Amino acid sequence: MNPSLKLALVVLIALEISFTQVWTVNVALIVISLVILGLNRIHIRTLVWLTVVPLFFASALIWSLMLRGNATPHFLIVLFTRMFVYVYLGATFTQTTVPLELTRSLEQNAKLPAKFAYGFLAAFNLFPKIKAEVATVHAAAMMRGQVLHFWSPQLYFKVILTAMNWSDQLASAMMSHGFVEWAPRTYAINVPLRTRDWVIFGASLLLVQIGLFIGLP
Amino acid sequence: MATVNIEHLTYAPDHQDPVLKDLTATFLGGRFSLLTGPSGSGKTTLLRLIAGLTPLPTGATLTFNGQPLAAQSPQQRSQTVALLFQEPSTQFTMDTVTNELRFALENQQVSPAAMPGKIDAALAFVGITDLRDRNLMQLSGGEQQKVALAIIVAMDSDVILLDEPFASIDPATRQTLLDRLVKLCRDQGKTIILADHDLSGYAQWIDHLTVLHAGQVTTLSVAATQARLAAFTPERLQLTHVQLPTAQDKSCFEAKGFGLSQNDRTLILPEDLPLLTHKTTLITGPNGSGKSTFFRSLVRLGRYQGTITYQGRDIQRIRRRTYARHVSLMFQSATAQFLNVTVAEELALSQRYGNATYFTPDRIQAALAQLDLSGRDEQIIYSLSSGQQKKLQLLCMLMMAPEVLLLDEPFKGLDLNSIQAALTLLTTTQRDLDLTLIIISHQLGGLSPYVDYHLDLAHQQLTYQGVTA
Repeated sequence: MNPSLKLALVVLIALEISFTQVWTVNVALIVISLVILGLNRIHIRTLVWLTVVPLFFASALIWSLMLRGNATPHFLIVLFTRMFVYVYLGATFTQTTVPLELTRSLEQNAKLPAKFAYGFLAAFNLFPKIKAEVATVHAAAMMRGQVLHFWSPQLYFKVILTAMNWSDQLASAMMSHGFVEWAPRTYAINVPLRTRDWVIFGASLLLVQIGLFIGLP
Repeated sequence: MATVNIEHLTYAPDHQDPVLKDLTATFLGGRFSLLTGPSGSGKTTLLRLIAGLTPLPTGATLTFNGQPLAAQSPQQRSQTVALLFQEPSTQFTMDTVTNELRFALENQQVSPAAMPGKIDAALAFVGITDLRDRNLMQLSGGEQQKVALAIIVAMDSDVILLDEPFASIDPATRQTLLDRLVKLCRDQGKTIILADHDLSGYAQWIDHLTVLHAGQVTTLSVAATQARLAAFTPERLQLTHVQLPTAQDKSCFEAKGFGLSQNDRTLILPEDLPLLTHKTTLITGPNGSGKSTFFRSLVRLGRYQGTITYQGRDIQRIRRRTYARHVSLMFQSATAQFLNVTVAEELALSQRYGNATYFTPDRIQAALAQLDLSGRDEQIIYSLSSGQQKKLQLLCMLMMAPEVLLLDEPFKGLDLNSIQAALTLLTTTQRDLDLTLIIISHQLGGLSPYVDYHLDLAHQQLTYQGVTA
């Protein structure tokens, strides 16, 4: 499916279930997401992480609401399942989308200015670099006699400083390879926006509407 | 062919003294110009201004064949001038080699149908067709520079600027790149302006050396140029004092079955290796052969096969904190080492935790003067030139005085005087405090008298080299 349309679909569904309270739809969405994740051969480890972390937070939330407050069991189930819908829906998107494809699609189909599209890509590419940087800063500090814990502000100060440096370097790199803001560009690879994509988009939204309508008390 | 003309260029970074003072210079079209000058003299600044990466200050004019850059349409600009950076890894936006080439061509509004042909031609010209689908971040510095040159070739820029492109590159790769550049200049009439400290290998290509000093550019006569270049004859780059380790030599590190690999690529095949204590060992080897990765495993920043022991103990079993104080690494990128903002703060940190009995305030001041860093106490580290950062980094690490100091390209980007100063400081400290130094360096000029052992990394094997008398 076209990446931009897929992103729009995921965001729209997430928004909609935030304002409605139909747990059956939530469960259906969870099942569908899990099926898609399964078909895309998600790693079991990733899936376990994606389940354990929200399980902790959802349980904590439900527990606190049960102790204090007068929420109905129906509302508690809605809240509990909603948390998983967010996580699994997000995962179906990230697991099935290549960042570069999304960037190209955002630029070509969603007509997002190239600056933002490539800014997004750069931010994405930065994550592994930041992780390595934290380890390096740690080691560098220890060699200077300073022990930085994960809560040390100095660690983050240094990482932010480095990231700012990277952003300058990235701007220079883009410029030196001929990138000019707002200037027209050609596309080496066209990301198609097919009728099929629109049909999936429309049908999925329609199904959610029907589900919500039937499920509403 | 484009002639670059600069007039009345005065440039001062924020709140600092001007680096370039009323500079006027002409770089002739279709010629290979070599720009040199002490570290911090403003070579990078000048190149960035010519490339249009730094906005031109008012009052200055910069023209390409009489036309200012601003008068050109955006997509023409990259066809007029392009810059190859000093730091190889910082010049890419995309993930793979092909995608980066596509990105550059898209910016020039090349039609998609014409792209594959241009990409193939550019990769073939530099001789890196096999790197086409590789991830840029997994390439070595030398390979990255080749890719950067291929992109400039694909963009077909008239003026090619190179900012110390060979600073961390082995001689063979340097020769390949230089050869390609000369071809671009001769056959395609490209104007090339290259900034470098290391003047070896240029004698046959350069008639007039361009020197940037005290904010001004001067062009040397043919005779003066040849004299300067002659100071870098290859004979001076030989190591004459190195010996093979004998059984009596004491080692500090013992590697057993030590092997390294990265992204499914074998860097070092398993081998046993001692590293000798209280001596200076130089490690050389081609780019991307795994020298830096070797250092990172010695300070426990990377995975390896086999075991490494330090003074008889497995380094994985020593407490990280303790170990870091015994064995330290001077990172190749200077900024990775700094934890503070100003020069004074950085020195204070090293003074607090380092060897303060040896590095007294007087000695530090003397060392700063020696390294030409005096009076910069309040300056922000990140606004120092790369050469100045490198010297400050060296001083900060020496002040820590660890038993073993690993130095990854400590002389990168330093001019000859700075290298001499850094070497003097390094060897005096080593002698006085009995340190063990292990150095990775491509820069061999002047190093010879101080090196005791020479380890060469070739064909996935680290081997000690000896001079046969």
